[in-house]
Amino acid sequence: MSVTHDDVLKIARLAELDVGEEALPLLAEQMSRILDYVRQINSVPASEALRPFVPGPDAAHFRPDDVKPWPLAFGPEKLAPAFKDGFFLVPKLGAFEVPEA
Amino acid sequence: MTDPSEALASANAAADRLVRAKRLNACITPPRELRKSLVAQAQAAHPSGVLYGMPVAVKDVICTLEFTTTCSSKILEGYHSPYEATAVAKLKAAGALIAGKTNCDEFAMGSSTEHSAHGRTLHPFDKTRVPGGSSGGSAALVAVGAVPAALGSETGGSVRQPASLCGVVGIKPTYGRVSRSGLVAFGSSLDQIGVLGRSVHDAARVLAVISGRDARDSTCEDRDPLRLPNVPESLQGFVIGIPKEYFPPDLDPAVRRACDRAIRLLKELGAAVREVSLPHTPYAVPTYYIVAPAEASSNLARYDGARYGPRFNGAADVRALYRSTRGEGFGAEVRRRILLGTYVLSAGYYDAYYRKAQQMRALIAQDFRNAFDRGVDLLFTPTTPTAAFKAGERLGDPVAMYLSDIFTVTANLAGLPAISIPIGRIKGLPIGGQFIGQAFLEDEMLEAAYALERVVPATEEA
Repeated sequence: MSVTHDDVLKIARLAELDVGEEALPLLAEQMSRILDYVRQINSVPASEALRPFVPGPDAAHFRPDDVKPWPLAFGPEKLAPAFKDGFFLVPKLGAFEVPEA
Repeated sequence: MTDPSEALASANAAADRLVRAKRLNACITPPRELRKSLVAQAQAAHPSGVLYGMPVAVKDVICTLEFTTTCSSKILEGYHSPYEATAVAKLKAAGALIAGKTNCDEFAMGSSTEHSAHGRTLHPFDKTRVPGGSSGGSAALVAVGAVPAALGSETGGSVRQPASLCGVVGIKPTYGRVSRSGLVAFGSSLDQIGVLGRSVHDAARVLAVISGRDARDSTCEDRDPLRLPNVPESLQGFVIGIPKEYFPPDLDPAVRRACDRAIRLLKELGAAVREVSLPHTPYAVPTYYIVAPAEASSNLARYDGARYGPRFNGAADVRALYRSTRGEGFGAEVRRRILLGTYVLSAGYYDAYYRKAQQMRALIAQDFRNAFDRGVDLLFTPTTPTAAFKAGERLGDPVAMYLSDIFTVTANLAGLPAISIPIGRIKGLPIGGQFIGQAFLEDEMLEAAYALERVVPATEEA
C-alpha cells in the first residue's frame, strides 16, 4: 500500500478532519488504490511549456469597486450555530499545534 | 399557459405527482411544505413568463429561498440559504414553479445517489438499481413524469450520467454559459448547472432561460441568453466525429449496438460521419480524480461548525470544533475526497499529482480543439459504459464507481457543452448517447439532438 495509516492521520490533520482509528485501514487501502490508479498520468510526457487550460472568460471582468450589501433574505444570526453582537461565537482558540518538520 | 387558474392547477398536479413519486426517495422536500409553496408560487408567478406554470425541481446543491439547501449532507442539515441561485431567480422570473429539492450524492460527489444523508434514490424502473448520480433525484423525477424538467449540476457528468441511466435528456452547458452563483461549490473550474428534461425541447427551453451573463459570477461569460434553434429537417452539412477511444474493444456490446444504430440514423439524416481520435481520453478519469478532489478540499474547508449548519460534540477549543464537526458532518465519500484532495495538494506530492493533472487537462482540451479544427462540428459517443447498475455494487470499490463517468468527464475537463439523449434499452433499462459540442455552440448540438431524438427508437432494445 502506498498510503500508510500515519499518512492518513497526517493528511486528516491538515484537512481538519477527525478520522477514527477504526476507519484507518479502509481509508488507507482505498486511498492507495485511488492514488495507484491516478498515477498512470505520469506515463504521459507533457511539455512544461504547455499552457494550463483554464475554462471560462479569457480575462476576469471587474465590477465597480463599490461596497454594496449583498441582498440577503436574512442575516448570519439565522445561519450560524452561535452568533452574538455581530460575531460568530466559537470555543476558545486553544493551543495550536506546532507544525511538524 | 397564461391563465392563473391553469398555473394553480399545474402546481397542484405537480404536488400530486411528487407525492406519488415518494417511493423513489427522489424529492427531499416534505409533501405538505411542497404543496403550500407551489400554490403560493403559482399565485405570485407572472403570466407573461415563457415558463409560466411549469414545475421545475431543483437539485439540493442549488440555493433556493423556498426550501432548505442541505447538499444531502448532515453538515448542512436544516440549512436555509439567505439568497437564491441566479438560475433559480431566472426560472422564477420566467414564471416557473420551483417544485422542491431533489436528492443527490452528498455535495454532488458520486455517481449513484447512494451517498446521501437522506438515503439512496431508487431507479425509476428497477428499485434494486441506482438512478446514477449525482443528480439522481432530478433524473428519477423527470423519468416518472413528476416534473417535465429539473435542474442538476455537473462536475464530471452528474447530469448526463443519470439522464442516460434513467432514460431522460440531460444537458451540460459550456462552462460559463450559466451562472454558478448559488451553486454550492465542489470543483469550481468544472462545476456547471445543467438541466434534465423529458425531451430535448423541455430541457433546452429551461437552459435558455437560465443562461446568460450574471454580474455575481465572474466566470460566467458576458453573453446573451441562448437562443433556441429550430428543429431541423435534416442534418445535411453536419460533420459528426466518432472518437475511437470511446468505443474500446471491451465496451458492452449492447451499448455499442445502440450507438451503431444511432450513428446509422445520423447518416440517414444527412450528416457526414467520420472517425476521429482523442488520444488522451484514457487519462481523463485519473486527471479528473486529482483536479476535482483538490478543488473540493479547498471549497469544503468553509464547513467547520463556525458559520453554517449544526455543530457536533462539545469541543473544548476551536480546532477540536472544526475537526469534530467535519469528521461527523461529512459522509464517507466526501471525507475520502477531501483527504485525497489534501494529499495531492500537499508539499511533496503537488508536482507529481496536481501539476501533472493540470498538464494532462490541457492535453485533453487540446485533443478536442484538434478534432474541431479538422472540420468536425460535433462528437457522438455513448454517455455511459453500462446501463444502471445494482445498488451497493460499486460502493466498496471507489475506482469502479469513478469509471461510471469515463465518457462524461472529458467535457467537464475541457469546459465543453454536451447532451445525453436516450437511444435505446438494454434488458429494459435505458441507455443514452451523447453529443459533445464546441464551446458556446449549444445551438448546433441541440439541432443534432432534436433530429436524432425524432427518429431514434429510444424505448426499443438495442
